Amino acid sequence: MEVSRVRALRGPNLWSHDTAVEAIVSCTTQELDIAQLPGFEARLRNIFPHLSPLQPLGNYKAAPMAQVLELVALGLQAQAGCPVTFSRTTPTLETGIFQVVVEYSEEAVGRLALELAQQLCLAALEDRAFDVSGALLQLQELDEDVRLGPSTGAIVNAALARNIPFRRLTEGSLVTFGWGSKQRKIQAAEMDGTSAIAEAIAQDKELTKKLLDSAGVPVPQGRVVLDADDAWAAACEIGLPVVVKPKDGNQGKGVTVNVTTREQLTAGFIAAQEFRDDILVERYLPGHDFRLLVIGNKMVAAARRDPPQVVGDGRHTVRELVDQVNLDPRRGSGHATSLTKIRFDDIALASLAKQGFVAESVPPVGQRVILRNNANLSTGGSATDVTIDVHPEVAARAVAAAHMVGLDICGVDVVADSVLKPLEEQNGGIVEVNAAPGLRMHLAPSFGRPRPVGEAIIAAMFAEGDDGRIPVVAVTGTNGKTTTVRLIAHLLTASGLRTGMTNTDGVYIEGRQIDSGDCSGPRSARNVLLHPDVDAAVFETARGGMLREGLAFDRCQVAVVTNIGAGDHLGLNYITTVEDLAVLKRVIVQNVADSGVAVLNATDPAVVRMAKNCSGSVTFFAADKSHPVMATHRAQGNRVVYVEDGKLVAAQGAQRHEVALSQVPITRNGAIGFQVENAMASVAAAWAVGLEWDAIRAGLKSFANENDNAPGRFNVFDYKGATLIADYGHNPDAILALVQAVESMPAKRRSVVISGAGDRRDEDIRQQTEILGAAFDDVLLYQDQCQRGRADGEVVALLRQGLDGARRTSHIDEINGEFVAIDTALARLGEGDLCLILIDQVEEALAHIAKRVAEA
Amino acid sequence: MIKKKNIEFVRVTHLRGPNIWTYRPVIEAWVDIGELEDYPSNTLPGLYERLVAWLPGMIEHRCGVGERGGFFERLREGTWSAHILEHVVLELQNLAGMRTGFGQTRSTSQRGVYKMAFRTREEQVGRAALAAARALLMAAINDEVYDLEAALAPLRELVDARCLGPSTANIVDAATERRIPSLRLNDGNLVQLGHGAAQRRIWTAETDRTSAIAEGIASDKDLTKFLLKSCGVPVPEGSLVRSAEAAWEEAQDIGVPVVVKPYDGNHGRGVSLNLMTESDVKAAYELAARQGDSSAVIVESFITGDEHRLLVVGNKLVAAAKGESLWVDGDGVSSILQLVNTQINTDPRRGEGEDFPLGTVKPHESGEIVLELQRQGMTADSVPQAGQKVLIQPNGNVAIDVTDEVHPSVAHAVLLAARVVGLDIAGIDLVAKDITRPLEEQRGAIIEVNASPGLLAHIKPGVGKPRAVGAAIVEHLFDAEETGRIPLIGVTGTRGASLIVRMLCKLLNLSGLHTGAVCGEGMFLDQRRVVSGNCVNWDAGQRLLLNRTVQTALFESNPRMILAEGLAYDRCQIGIVTDTGSLDDVKDFDVLDEAGLYKAVRSQVDVVLPTGVAVLNAAEPLVLEMAALCDGSVTLYAQDGELPGIAAHLVEGKRAAFVRGNHIVLAEGGIETVLLCLDLLKPATAGNVDSVLAAVAAAWSLNLSTDLICAGLRTFDAAPGSIGN
Repeated sequence: MEVSRVRALRGPNLWSHDTAVEAIVSCTTQELDIAQLPGFEARLRNIFPHLSPLQPLGNYKAAPMAQVLELVALGLQAQAGCPVTFSRTTPTLETGIFQVVVEYSEEAVGRLALELAQQLCLAALEDRAFDVSGALLQLQELDEDVRLGPSTGAIVNAALARNIPFRRLTEGSLVTFGWGSKQRKIQAAEMDGTSAIAEAIAQDKELTKKLLDSAGVPVPQGRVVLDADDAWAAACEIGLPVVVKPKDGNQGKGVTVNVTTREQLTAGFIAAQEFRDDILVERYLPGHDFRLLVIGNKMVAAARRDPPQVVGDGRHTVRELVDQVNLDPRRGSGHATSLTKIRFDDIALASLAKQGFVAESVPPVGQRVILRNNANLSTGGSATDVTIDVHPEVAARAVAAAHMVGLDICGVDVVADSVLKPLEEQNGGIVEVNAAPGLRMHLAPSFGRPRPVGEAIIAAMFAEGDDGRIPVVAVTGTNGKTTTVRLIAHLLTASGLRTGMTNTDGVYIEGRQIDSGDCSGPRSARNVLLHPDVDAAVFETARGGMLREGLAFDRCQVAVVTNIGAGDHLGLNYITTVEDLAVLKRVIVQNVADSGVAVLNATDPAVVRMAKNCSGSVTFFAADKSHPVMATHRAQGNRVVYVEDGKLVAAQGAQRHEVALSQVPITRNGAIGFQVENAMASVAAAWAVGLEWDAIRAGLKSFANENDNAPGRFNVFDYKGATLIADYGHNPDAILALVQAVESMPAKRRSVVISGAGDRRDEDIRQQTEILGAAFDDVLLYQDQCQRGRADGEVVALLRQGLDGARRTSHIDEINGEFVAIDTALARLGEGDLCLILIDQVEEALAHIAKRVAEA
Repeated sequence: MIKKKNIEFVRVTHLRGPNIWTYRPVIEAWVDIGELEDYPSNTLPGLYERLVAWLPGMIEHRCGVGERGGFFERLREGTWSAHILEHVVLELQNLAGMRTGFGQTRSTSQRGVYKMAFRTREEQVGRAALAAARALLMAAINDEVYDLEAALAPLRELVDARCLGPSTANIVDAATERRIPSLRLNDGNLVQLGHGAAQRRIWTAETDRTSAIAEGIASDKDLTKFLLKSCGVPVPEGSLVRSAEAAWEEAQDIGVPVVVKPYDGNHGRGVSLNLMTESDVKAAYELAARQGDSSAVIVESFITGDEHRLLVVGNKLVAAAKGESLWVDGDGVSSILQLVNTQINTDPRRGEGEDFPLGTVKPHESGEIVLELQRQGMTADSVPQAGQKVLIQPNGNVAIDVTDEVHPSVAHAVLLAARVVGLDIAGIDLVAKDITRPLEEQRGAIIEVNASPGLLAHIKPGVGKPRAVGAAIVEHLFDAEETGRIPLIGVTGTRGASLIVRMLCKLLNLSGLHTGAVCGEGMFLDQRRVVSGNCVNWDAGQRLLLNRTVQTALFESNPRMILAEGLAYDRCQIGIVTDTGSLDDVKDFDVLDEAGLYKAVRSQVDVVLPTGVAVLNAAEPLVLEMAALCDGSVTLYAQDGELPGIAAHLVEGKRAAFVRGNHIVLAEGGIETVLLCLDLLKPATAGNVDSVLAAVAAAWSLNLSTDLICAGLRTFDAAPGSIGN
């Protein structure tokens, strides 16, 4: 078995809506049915007993090795704890070659699982040992490393529940929600609106205290002291007991609490000085530690945090008691569980010493022994949800504290006997506010109910009903894509939306080109969705990117399929037939949002069939409103777009909107059939987005077909009284459409300049000239700059074959070089003649033609 | 002459708010000049000459004379030591870098004792300057040696350490220009602009809307580049490497010359440019790895051209500055260090400290320069040949203003870069040969986006026009019509002021505003008493102004507080004065007559905004007199509506509140509205008719509806300590 070309499909794809790895797997003849490999399955199941059955019950079809690989790769991920379920193996036309697709939740884990699965299969084949638990551990560790942490994960899940799309921007916790101008970002428990100044203020405990005090929030009064004597003076001013601690310390280092005597205070002062020069004396607040989580203007969760502790039973030593507690299966070692093991380290021993114990002491029954003066979950503390206990006045103080500091997400540390009564009534206070607070104690408290804090954070960023999406229109098809994409983008722009567009010429934001070259893949589309100035997006969605990586978006609002026709580029990447192509192009239709619309060409049966794969609604378009598909669809009260009396009509039930074709310049009064189709598709898409009809009409009217708008798409020039048309058409359907369009234009003598692209099938190349031969008097064949894998002269020969027995063509030339061919054709033109030039190097050729036209 | 004369400070007080001297904070010193009372300046030989020689800048002091040289004229003609001290302390503050102008000296009832007040922007600096001024003046009087520079050095240090940095000061000054108040929140550059709920905060060039996540993104150069590139902003090609070998590999990949810099560094530390060879790239990697926090180092293509810094504030390009490369010309004799000192560091723009637009160039200390020289086969001690040009620093300090030359498409790219990262204020570093042309035409690129950018290069560019970046930041924070102010109501007096505050606190809170109040009975936030006990002091008032929730605030004050501390606010919407109090309260301030009391209390009326209202007790002749001082309008009150003051006021079409029969009447010119019958009030409230009238007049001036005023008053309980539900 050989595994080649492993791809990560990072969005909805040919196979599924989910992310997956795809590999080309070639099996030897014996491997085509593993039942033929003696003892293989038994060895396989011995190594990996969790492997699912290779066939459904009662099915005895041959299972190829590729399928084993598929199931092992899926099974390994599932056993490692990844939430994956989809996998599939598909034979190709070549015997022994399969496409294997396995879902992943993390790309790196999916790729590793595929590698490990291959090793596992090989081990079973060769009867070698394989360390499956080691492999699973490797996958688990990688998964833990790369997947989102629990806090960020909770926020992302909350977003997904609200149908808000997300994208990770880093390997860390920086995530962007929504698209374009509606994007918001988070990083763990920070939002993009979280103020850097507020975070800095929260770091400065003294300033925080001053501000909270101003806001009427109870805080432990205190001040910075100069020396031990001053510390005592301060303690007397404040009133005992007090706390002495370093001013900007953290994690409780150098802190002495509950100081009641001068001796204790002096010792505490010296201890604090070990860490910082600025020492603070403040009132000691007795009571429990509580953490109140404030999001926006609401307290959304509260937890009581207890330090790691054990309770004496009169029999066991402290060390034994700790070991017992650590047996609790909920106590893990990382951040993933609701409790963490209590550490028995120097800090624990020091803490014991303060309480008069050593590790081997046997505390009496019921005696609480604290193992560290810090209630962090990560050091063995516990969190108990107390959200519903919080008195409204306590919650109000927490909100006031967050507001005063300026934090939109804030962990407020309260010390009080209880949160059931106002702080003022019990000498409680707020001791600290924290930016980017940990959410684990609320998401997975050690005791009590989890709180939906991820949901609260999402609600703070996205108003109800806002899913952060901008209108996304995906366009695919064999011909007319680029013009349709440009026209839809133009209509969106005309209605005031800042529009991003990708197509085979580049990426455009508000008309400004930010990237050039073929940008019809998902990378370019993702860039548009990331752009802060984009209110709506139109993506030309070519097959290459869809095959390579899947779609750039999970759902689109509108999918437009212009046509499939006889197809193009058939034979590449296991897309062999028009049906294969239709299945591939259907992917955008399958991923239309439930509230979205698929715009489909009613005259193309392959496109019409896609309608049943759309979970949103469908708008059909066709010039002929009586076409059975159109008539049926309309009769059922659905949307259709057609042509009637020189008008483009959009109709649904009694609703009817009209645009005169005379007001749509690219159609030349409706004469150019394929432009009428492009206009109908675009109007249907604009209608689906919900644009105003006035804006649509204005947009259609102002969309001219100069080179600037769509270079290489039916660019018309006047050359010494002859009509010159330049187009990029390169497949039989495109050429047929061009011929139809050109035939409606009067001309004396008709000539055409053409080369064939070498990466088409022979019959496709021949067919182009077969069509042209019926419509043109002169045909100038030229050899294209790049032969795309064909031998010299091969393409021209094919083109010539297509002209055998041509009905109209009387004159054929073979010319070397595109520009020479153009110049030759121009030299022959007389007034009233017409010449169609099928250009290859779009920009250069257009520039050349423009130059010649200018010279004339 | 016997050298035992001395100047003693009896008392030095920092008046932190508007006071009897001026609107702004001052230090008030009670100066006992002792027997110097008998020696005005013209009788002290050589004093004039010495002071003119030591502090020639005092020529600018106009003093009472009103023209340049005014003070020197007074000094020559004869003036007393306390007055001279005032001018010396102001001049020392100026020389130390804290510019102030206001000063005043008045004699007291005690011979030889003066009250001298001088403006200071920072208390510690002011106090130190005062001590230094006395020492200087005594040395001048006694003809002793005085080392001015030695005295100024610690003052300058204090100014550097305690005063706002120049960038922040520029923003605060711009706010002041727009009459937006400011308060410092810490000893650093964290400043609150505006009051209460209308406030905004700045910390140097960060605002309270500067996103922490955006700052995080900006400090991650690789992520920044990825995001910018995705959005079509031109950036240099390159990637992250973790070893010197990988650095060289990457350099070959993208093509030399390359730039090498730390992944997480800032301020150009550890950055090496224009590297061509393997050894240079590897050495630069080591430098960058040392300067950064990790081994991660960025290698990217070196964009040729000048480095530019463009400042974006709130989606506007407000300033652009260009850097210049530094070169020295060898003379065959001097070392590079010497050449740098004679050819570069002699530039008056260069020096140590934030006040100099350009830094001192140190070829033997700066790692980048050492490396740059090393690449040219030299050290700081090398002696270049005569005529040899040596590059010291490619694109050194950014300092030439080019704001007006930036091509619109460059501006578009820069603004987009700030938006993509998410910063409201950003300094964008860009390399381009010609900023007047699009970047795409010249392979220019944005190389970095900086949060909290330095503003100095734009405020004080080495060459070209200074840019009003502070004003741009203030404009970003406050729309044109915003003042940063919330309605503040000050109540000054000794009779019923606390009660008036409490009544108004309730009325304003009922009107739906979050209301803060400080008075003799404590501090109140809405209906809640937060502090009990006397809160008639500056600190308590300040707390209200800091509170981001407070939408309107009330402050009680009295003559004693004004004399001891100054008012807690710079201007107010409503200033209420009930009475001027008794002389007994203020004896220790050397206020011995009613004129003195009047002077203290009038501060309350002086600070009323032009759009505001003074509410004055017409039954008190001294208070009534203050009506003329008010920048805004005046509403009078008194139980007796027939008082001549009220009658005259009404004749002018103005407002007054009084009692007729048993009813409170609001009158404006000839139009009268009967508000309510006093019998409807709770007994404890009804017993304080004057206070009720003051509160009613103020509430009326605040446009509270009469229904609400009546409802509030009827439910108000004047019993102390409660807002009176």
